Amino acid sequence: MPQEFHLSDQELLQALDGELTPRETERAQSHLAACWACRSRKQEIETAIGEFIRLQRSALDGQLPSADGPRALLKARLAELSATQSGRPRWFRGISQRLGWAAIALAVMAPLLYWSLSVARRAPEPPVTVTVPNPALTPGAAVLLSDRQVCGQAGVKNKLVPVTLRRQVFAEYGIRAATPGAYEVDYLITPALGGADDIRNLWPESRNLTVWNAQVKDALEDHLRDLVCEGRLDLATAQREIAENWIEAYKKYFHTNSPLARDY
Amino acid sequence: MLDSPPESNALLNPLSETETVEPSAIEDRMVRLFDQVRVPLLRYLSAFPLALPDAEDVVQEAFLSLFQQLQRGKSHHNVGGWLFRAAHNLAVKKSMRSRSDAEKTGAFIGVEELVIDPAPNPEDQFAFDQRQQRLMSVVRALPEQQRLCLYLRAEGLRYREIAEILDMSLGAVSIALGRSLAHLSRAAER
Repeated sequence: MPQEFHLSDQELLQALDGELTPRETERAQSHLAACWACRSRKQEIETAIGEFIRLQRSALDGQLPSADGPRALLKARLAELSATQSGRPRWFRGISQRLGWAAIALAVMAPLLYWSLSVARRAPEPPVTVTVPNPALTPGAAVLLSDRQVCGQAGVKNKLVPVTLRRQVFAEYGIRAATPGAYEVDYLITPALGGADDIRNLWPESRNLTVWNAQVKDALEDHLRDLVCEGRLDLATAQREIAENWIEAYKKYFHTNSPLARDY
Repeated sequence: MLDSPPESNALLNPLSETETVEPSAIEDRMVRLFDQVRVPLLRYLSAFPLALPDAEDVVQEAFLSLFQQLQRGKSHHNVGGWLFRAAHNLAVKKSMRSRSDAEKTGAFIGVEELVIDPAPNPEDQFAFDQRQQRLMSVVRALPEQQRLCLYLRAEGLRYREIAEILDMSLGAVSIALGRSLAHLSRAAER
């Protein structure tokens, strides 16, 4: 039967996407049933969609980093927002009374604030030395692993911390700028001792600004892992001691009050 | 807020029920939603000239905005569409700011720059590469609105939702998708 009309690409696509009205759908289906040209064109459109989707998903999805870091960051930010929200009613209580005092304080402080900001703009920010993490920000976090599981994993390396998570860690610690390599966003409990990929287990550790630096902590981590895997120290104790105060743990396990030179 | 047609993608609407959600439960549900929607959002954001960290930031910001909306007791209807729209608006602003940064630090690997897994033999590999290159050059050359429509549709959004996100009419969405698919199918035919 000769066809008097053909479906446009737009109509074919709408039919494929389920975007036609029932009446239009019926009309399109009856036309497609009789028209080889339109069926063929519909097939071509479907193939193009399929290729685009395959190309986008097979490659892009594989290149995206794990969701662990971004998820941890989101959790931390949600918790922070929740805390702010739950504290809000208290802030609002008596706000009008405070507003008056705030206006007076602002009038007094404004010139001072302007001066301090202009000085701050001129003077470079001094580097912050971070030798031990802030326990409120970085209490440490571990995954549930036994001594045997930890020691069964040979050559465990710290995962690269995603940039967004690193930024969040720096922001939490108030570090706004630093020379490249001045800090290492490090795991407080190293993954080689069962440490978790969690913002509560990450902190910006100074590399060169202190003798108690990232390299010294690495030596402690290696030593504690050896002790755990030799059965001379249980994993939970190693995790707790390194999380509570890694410098004290270093002094205790290396029997020294200052970092030892390390052979690499 | 977007209207969600009955056949709308259930994956993108896990909070679309009308029941009231306890504040303490919102965080958990947000994290579950994040696990479901982060990758589709990042795929959509690959249509923008954003570096990956910036795209991740956009996703985070979109979720934080949603969280604040939910905390204030705003409607939970069609959360997926809301997230795409928030991410779109944030990406538009951010891409304008970070275009130069992305050039300096290495742009987000967009779909047009991807390297596909090798095919079994060199001839097939060559043909496959040629085909993908053609397809990607067509995607790259699409007008922005057509490209964004295509990416949103690829994530399962309905025409009505796409129209809301991109601030277009339904007819314009249909035309844009029709044209982008016509270009793609011509590239695939060659």
